Amino acid sequence: MLLLLVVTLHARGTRYSPPGKPALTSCRSPEKETFTCWWKPGSDGGLPTTYALHYRKENSDTVYECPDYHTAGENSCFFNKNDTSIWVNYNITVVATNKLGSTFSDPVDIDVVYIVQPNPPEKVSVTLMEDRGMPFLRVSWEPPRKADTRSGWITLIYEIRIKLDGENDWEMHPAGQQKLFNIFGLRSGGTYLVQVRCKPDHGFWSEWSSTSYIRFPDYFQREKSVWIL
Amino acid sequence: LCMVAVCGAIPITDLLDRASQHSDKLHSLSTILTQELDSHFPPIGRVIMPRPSMCHTSSLETPTDKDQALQVSEANLMSLARSLLQAWMDPLVVLSTSAHTLPHPSRNSIFNKVQELQEHSKNLGDGLNIVSGKMDPMAQTISYLPYSNNIGQDKISKLTNFQFLLSCFRRDSHKIDSFLKVLRCRAAKMQPHLC
Repeated sequence: MLLLLVVTLHARGTRYSPPGKPALTSCRSPEKETFTCWWKPGSDGGLPTTYALHYRKENSDTVYECPDYHTAGENSCFFNKNDTSIWVNYNITVVATNKLGSTFSDPVDIDVVYIVQPNPPEKVSVTLMEDRGMPFLRVSWEPPRKADTRSGWITLIYEIRIKLDGENDWEMHPAGQQKLFNIFGLRSGGTYLVQVRCKPDHGFWSEWSSTSYIRFPDYFQREKSVWIL
Repeated sequence: LCMVAVCGAIPITDLLDRASQHSDKLHSLSTILTQELDSHFPPIGRVIMPRPSMCHTSSLETPTDKDQALQVSEANLMSLARSLLQAWMDPLVVLSTSAHTLPHPSRNSIFNKVQELQEHSKNLGDGLNIVSGKMDPMAQTISYLPYSNNIGQDKISKLTNFQFLLSCFRRDSHKIDSFLKVLRCRAAKMQPHLC
């Protein structure tokens, strides 16, 4: 029957085939409470092709289908709180299907605790401060909204980077668990760019936050002119 | 963590903070070890590796998400952490003994790291004995989770079982660390800057 279909389709002069093999590309949890997996489709074989993600949890033979294909965009599956367990392996497979057949991806085993990558810190602000005539910058921020650091469910450490506008190299500052950091000894004059990122106790660094700009005063020149006078 | 006589004066917040530093280190070490072992792991090992439900600690019921974990009482979280840690005392000795003869190019480095695991586990265990003594008596309850498997004789089963045991430890040390960090934040309610 299937063979007949292939022959018929070929007879019309177009090459149709079952879908190419899809590949699971990554899975990520931003807060140890939900997670998303993404896949890359293979070729569609010249026919309308649909994708389904199936998973099976450790200790169970029941196979479930992805609960939400929409929230995280195209070619993705989002697992909300109710569908997410930790310290449990998920065996995940994607299957591509068109009129001529189905092709399965290689299965992937994941435990949500090993794929945690938070969103970047939020509300990053930089303020110009002064201590006995010496200006310095105070950087402050908040943890990503989704990460529940208050209960201790996730512990974040932070890193700050700063550079003068137009320069290539960033200067890095580890801030530990603090949400406030003072940067001293900056060169006078110019606009500084500041970004912050965070990393969970066991997991991956977030992307850098959006850039905060601050104008730093020409304090040495002012001092010098006072001295000459 | 500290001597019994000295600990009396140290607030429980600080004790839990120190404990979670140890548990953090314990889990990080197990991750490094796993990666080191993975660099020379026979492909067949991945096929024949037992499922995680075969871990000797898998019969202990632990929370499987945040909502569940946050509902567990402090004493019970402590009891879970201590039961898991206790369950690893014997298997860590097995890991340490077999690391010596492990058919792996980095066996010396692996052996040293397993020794470190043992040391951190022992220190953490001593510390948790002291902290749990200051909590509800329920915190003293330890579930007994015996370990009886052995590592095996031939090259493939030695490597596979070593890696399997390590993967069980890695998961359990993550649980211990997570429970202790939740406890640390509960104890630090008065000092919200800590969490």
